[in-house]
Amino acid sequence: MATYERHHCWSLLLRLFHWMFALSIIFLIVTGFYINTPWTNTMIEGSASFPMATMRYIHYIAAYVLSSAVLIRLFLYIFGNAQERVWDILPITGRNLNNLKMTLLQYSYISNKHDERLGHNILAGLAYLLTFIAALLMIVSGFYMLYPESAFWAKWGVMLFGSQQFARYLHHITMWWFMIFAVVHIYLCIWNDCTEPEGLISSIFTGAKFKHKA
Amino acid sequence: MADTVKKVLDPQLDRRGFLKGCTMAAAALGMSEAMIPKLVEAAATAERPRVIWLHFQECTGCTESLLRSSHPDLARLILDIISLDYHETVMAAAGHQAEENLHATVNNHPFILVVEGAIPTKDGGIYCKIAGKTAMDILAEVAPKASAIIAIGTCATFGGVQAAAPNPTGAVGVQDLVSGVPIVNIPGCPPNPVSFLGTILHYLTFKRLPALDNLNRPLFAYGRRIHDHCERRAHFDEGRFVEQYGDAFHKLGYCLYKVGCKGPETFSNCPAVRFNDVDVWPVSVGHGCIGCTEPNFWDTMTPFYERLPMVKIPASGIVGSADKIGKTVLGITAAAVGIHAAVGIGKRLIKGKSSDKA
Ligand code: HEM
Ligand code: HEM
Repeated sequence: MATYERHHCWSLLLRLFHWMFALSIIFLIVTGFYINTPWTNTMIEGSASFPMATMRYIHYIAAYVLSSAVLIRLFLYIFGNAQERVWDILPITGRNLNNLKMTLLQYSYISNKHDERLGHNILAGLAYLLTFIAALLMIVSGFYMLYPESAFWAKWGVMLFGSQQFARYLHHITMWWFMIFAVVHIYLCIWNDCTEPEGLISSIFTGAKFKHKA
Repeated sequence: MADTVKKVLDPQLDRRGFLKGCTMAAAALGMSEAMIPKLVEAAATAERPRVIWLHFQECTGCTESLLRSSHPDLARLILDIISLDYHETVMAAAGHQAEENLHATVNNHPFILVVEGAIPTKDGGIYCKIAGKTAMDILAEVAPKASAIIAIGTCATFGGVQAAAPNPTGAVGVQDLVSGVPIVNIPGCPPNPVSFLGTILHYLTFKRLPALDNLNRPLFAYGRRIHDHCERRAHFDEGRFVEQYGDAFHKLGYCLYKVGCKGPETFSNCPAVRFNDVDVWPVSVGHGCIGCTEPNFWDTMTPFYERLPMVKIPASGIVGSADKIGKTVLGITAAAVGIHAAVGIGKRLIKGKSSDKA
């Protein structure tokens, strides 16, 4: 009979980040699709309904939530607890490289061994970092489209993207990353929860994980 | 009275036409009415600046739209306030005489250089030659001596259709080859003559070029997005769209967003200044904007009737819309997840629960 210990893993701020991030992205994807291909056609003039304006409005509210979430994560990558800092998930130490290898072996059913670790495994951590960078790209291209006449965004937008159209193109393509990520992410969270009884899913609500007593 | 019937170039510009042209330019520049006398004065009394107009890889459409505007006042005004020393389409001189005019101006006078058309750079620039010299050489000879350069049209500014992928002649715009001389870009296919006139009048009146954006386009003409000033904008916000050209919604004048209008990503004064003195512009007559004032518009704004360019996956020959490719990749991901789960479950069933370390 194994005994488990409760370990505090994720700060409240990180859990807040997670749900701000995940929920805002769901809204951004739905409204983003609408902005690309408005699937309604009002047809009635003077009906006092503004579907496109409303969808864009929701997109921008969600965009500000996402931007705040990204700022929170940026802060935590530098000043968070041991599990939250960025070097905890970078494959730069022997221990982290080994964890990356072990995780890949475990996920491909080659090995049954689970490399115990309190924070994210390295594979997950890298996927989260990539998603964080993709979110930065969404924010920069999004604000460039939103404030085309502001001196700041006009200057940086043209430097980074060349034109509004190219920014929009990247903005749209990058959206697909979030959907693909979400499918794999949710699946692997469930998979891990089934494989290792450490309470992974509840950890993103409670902040605590359960580990074997040494 | 200005002769609006015989649409020929007329050196006799009457006062009414002159004032009208100046007023149009002042409106485009966003100047107060009080400034108009200043513009008029500058246009009437300043020494006419010498202008050299070079044509490279182009279709002459910019010149056509400038000089054959339906109302001849604009063209007359332009020809009246500048001294067009060299312009291949309208000059009387030909052959060696024309070349002489060019050299006389370049070497002996301050002048403004207007460039129309892209400059091919591949294989030593041999794809465009005039009088035995490549466009690159001509530009390199003339440009450094100019007091300012106006690149007119999308070809001269960003390379235009010649520079569209795969850009077989290595065409580029003026700003890619010239530095050290102030450059104003007036893109468009063709650009509005008023934007050109406004730039010239601004230069004559204030002795400097107008304020520019980050792509060197005058802000007075390219400072705002078409979408944000479009007369069909209410239909966009209220969700009334043309689904197909020629459908009932098209006839009702609804928003052209879904049939690929590029107004949301294009900077130009078209909705405000309009064209041809008859107050029309593409969207007002039922065709979406194709984004002709933006860099690389042949590559990024096409397909003209879709919102976004196609995704090309390098070295695979795969071309598709972003959503089609996205859906495929997402589908493959979902299938992989399913297979992964099935393998896991299968393994458990075979090995039994014994592998469970609990
Ligand atoms: C994960 C995050 C996001 C996703 C998935 C997303 C998705 C999308 C999509 C699919 C479009 C339609 C583009 C098209 O095909 O025409 C769009 C448009 C837009 N997004 Fe986002 N977006 C995200 C974040 C942001 C952020 C942070 C901003 C910042 C303000 C933003 C601002 C905009 C703007 C201004 C537009 C253009 C709307 C218009 O032209 O009417 N987006 N977004
Ligand atoms: C119902 C849906 C979701 C559940 C149950 C869930 C659960 C979790 C869990 C348990 C973790 C921690 C995993 C670990 O330790 O490696 C986590 C992390 C994370 N999740 Fe989710 N998630 C959900 C949806 C999403 C969505 C939609 C996104 C974004 C598209 C997202 C983005 C992230 C990110 C970026 C992290 C890493 C947090 C960090 O930066 O440290 N999640 N999630």
